[in-house]
Amino acid sequence: MYIAAAPQTRTTSRRHPLAFLASVLRLGGIGVNTRFWISIGLLGAILVFGLLGPIVLGKRDPLRIVGGLYDPPSSKVWLGTDNFGRDVFTQLMYGTRTSLTIGLIAGAVATAIGVVIGTISGFRGGMLEEALMGITNVVITIPSIVILILLSIAIASRSVVVMGLIIGITSWPWTARAVRAQTASLRAREHLDIARLSGAGTLSLILWDIIPYMLSYIFMAFVLQFASGILQEAALSLLGLGPSNTISLGIMLHWSLLWEAVRTGAWWAFFPPTVFLTIIAFALLLLQSSLDEIFNPRLRRK
Amino acid sequence: MRSDARRTDERFAHRLTRRHFVRGILAAGALAAGGLLASCRQGTATPTPATSAQTPAAGPTVIASPGAVTEFPRNETLFVAGFQWGPPTTFNPMTPGTGWPAGDDFQHLYETLFGFNLLTGGLEPQLGQKLEQPDAATMVITLHQGTKWQDGKPLTADDVIFTYELAKEHPEVPYNTFFDYVSKISKVDDRTIRLDLNKERLNPGLVKQFLSTVKILPKHIWEERAKSGQTLTEIVDTEPVGSGPYKLVGFSPERVALQRDDNYWGISVFGTPAPKYIVHPIFKSNDEGNLALEQGRVDISQQFAPKIWEMWEKKNLPVGTWFKQPPYHVPGSIPLLFINVNKKPWDNPTLRRALAYAINYAQIAELAMSRYSITANSSLIIPDGAEKRFYDQVNVDQNGWKYDPQRAIQTLERDLGAKKGSDGIYVLPDGTRLGPFKVECPYGWTDWQTALELVAQSAKDVGIEINTEFPDAPVLFTRIPNGDFELALWFVNGVSPASPWIRFRDVLDSRGVPPVGQQAFWNYNRYNNPAVADLLDRAAASQNEAEQKQLFSELDRIFMKDAPAIPLMYRPLEFYEYNESVWTGFPNADNPVAPPSQGGAGIKILYVIKPKS
Repeated sequence: MYIAAAPQTRTTSRRHPLAFLASVLRLGGIGVNTRFWISIGLLGAILVFGLLGPIVLGKRDPLRIVGGLYDPPSSKVWLGTDNFGRDVFTQLMYGTRTSLTIGLIAGAVATAIGVVIGTISGFRGGMLEEALMGITNVVITIPSIVILILLSIAIASRSVVVMGLIIGITSWPWTARAVRAQTASLRAREHLDIARLSGAGTLSLILWDIIPYMLSYIFMAFVLQFASGILQEAALSLLGLGPSNTISLGIMLHWSLLWEAVRTGAWWAFFPPTVFLTIIAFALLLLQSSLDEIFNPRLRRK
Repeated sequence: MRSDARRTDERFAHRLTRRHFVRGILAAGALAAGGLLASCRQGTATPTPATSAQTPAAGPTVIASPGAVTEFPRNETLFVAGFQWGPPTTFNPMTPGTGWPAGDDFQHLYETLFGFNLLTGGLEPQLGQKLEQPDAATMVITLHQGTKWQDGKPLTADDVIFTYELAKEHPEVPYNTFFDYVSKISKVDDRTIRLDLNKERLNPGLVKQFLSTVKILPKHIWEERAKSGQTLTEIVDTEPVGSGPYKLVGFSPERVALQRDDNYWGISVFGTPAPKYIVHPIFKSNDEGNLALEQGRVDISQQFAPKIWEMWEKKNLPVGTWFKQPPYHVPGSIPLLFINVNKKPWDNPTLRRALAYAINYAQIAELAMSRYSITANSSLIIPDGAEKRFYDQVNVDQNGWKYDPQRAIQTLERDLGAKKGSDGIYVLPDGTRLGPFKVECPYGWTDWQTALELVAQSAKDVGIEINTEFPDAPVLFTRIPNGDFELALWFVNGVSPASPWIRFRDVLDSRGVPPVGQQAFWNYNRYNNPAVADLLDRAAASQNEAEQKQLFSELDRIFMKDAPAIPLMYRPLEFYEYNESVWTGFPNADNPVAPPSQGGAGIKILYVIKPKS
């Protein structure tokens, strides 16, 4: 309650024991909205479930067969078993972990590529910009799912890292374009002239005078890329092109579709992974939009 | 001709491919026990031309053949599912992947001489009334009285001989190796045909397989086509004239519709089939078809439906299968895990046997096959149905393997001297790590994919690392016959008049098998054992069941000793599932008046069912 009321306490000069915490939560006084906390709460819960779950409940092999074909939930298998007789609850824990890892790698890779291409072309301009944006525009027109499928087929053994990379290197173009636009507008700022006068090189200018000024933007782009990476993984896995020898939320859905979980009424095989994917994507989008509001004063609600 | 994979497809996207490919390959290869040359003539792994061009039914129109029927009263119509997966384009029985029911051994439209009964292993009268074998190398076939075509013309010995003799001039026909086994087909009189078998390659079982799979064609229609120089398989035939009890009255991308021919010649012999219409709705996916069966919109289906018992146990629906208890279906084929015996370290039979001991077959039957299989034995003979008479349990117990992970570990450690690495995977004395190996089957063949996942899991438990991979079917249909694989789940011939002989040939016979890199029609892993050939030839020619059994046991011992392949499970030739909401009296194990199949002798089902009201 106190946290939610944080913006109102801004004007009071009364020293409260929690004042320090409050000031931290206010993120430097710009205010924190409810949506931010909902999204953080959801993500935190998912992270705890995926990362700490296996530690708390003991290490289990998600690929171990413990029951029969679509056994219903019971005290032994809390969410029943899948078509392989594997524990759905355990799979959900490890699958969430895999999906988050892939999303994280994909998001990081896509953001990194996008930022590099975007800043260079935006900052340098001219022919280089034309060339880089030309490539970006070409890539943006190719539906990334097609490239994803082709890449996934071409690579025989797909580890979690490889999956993340594949998704990352197909989803950077829009980040590149957005970052280029931001860079182009930052390029004309006065502090860059000062930096130039002090003899800073291109790399230094980009690293110290451009990127820090759009860090908030890059972070939001990363959050979006993270969310789309998780969904892309689910889409690929659903087609049977997911990571090998592991479990992910998409792979769970893949098998439940192949084995007609919907028709046979085995809701536990397809419902939990669907809910998890929805929650993760929802929480990340919520986080992104609330961050947008925090970073961009014009959007802030009064 | 019959393969496990032939009719039992589970998944939507690749189902068409599976059927086309399997049919194409088997039509050319498996039946073609005769030499490589014959097989190569049409051993092509590309989809059939008939499905590509000139499709009269490409649009969503029901064809307007004379008297096209669009209304199907529910209590006069039998709805079937599971045989036709794409828009039908032709009903030419020669074309691989032709529209249902022109292909396979369905008797609705075109008929074969005899119908195969997968329960007894015998041939039942169809066009032929009786089959006599005055001596080992002669067969005399007598046609039923009054056989005629749907256009009213009589069907005589001339039509039969014409049909078979097409194999001489037309290498594209599916039975192009017929004359490798039959030296002469001759007319005794209008109703009698005599076959002189090739004494050099005496194989009455295989000849019977031809007799139960080759559709007899009307000479007065096909003679012209045969002379025109066209490739017979490419002829698009949308107004087929057959001799069977049903006429094609309409087809579209949504369904194929048949209407009973009330002038059918067989009415005086077999009676009148109950349904006036038979409609095969064409579903996009398995769940769609299974849901239709569950809701009574389909009366008889051959789709893989997981946990079908819940339909009557939990939902109290009037649904049934052959057996009311597991395995619910009659086993008809054995998907085999082929091991490439020419790739190190799999060239060592001891290692292959170690893997065989490591696999949990009961788990595969329970999970991958949804209990539709009994636990696989280490034999190439199916222990039920037509092949039961040849199955030797003692032999299997003494020489075979079963799931025994301890034994697998012992074999690895003691017999092979392998040491377990820190990662839990064994390493052979020569430094070869047991894995990662690659095991493959086509994507979308759900039960197979699941079985391989379970194999990988079982192998990991004892210390062999196997990774699964599921390429698209066309890729494997090239690579596996070429011998380009490490481990692969693949099909061989199912139960037929020629089995289990033909299955032993498929797995053990190295004759007629080209080197790696060229397409083989059997023995995909190029297993070679000089002791096999003589045993196979004797088993093929033998007329004595006891002697055959002994020869098959001998071959089975070789198979179990060398383990070039591992049987993982059994599949029925056709899944047989019925819903009695509209039609009742479907045969089952308690009422075995007809075999559980819609082709061959299973046509009899249509004569024993009755409308409910």
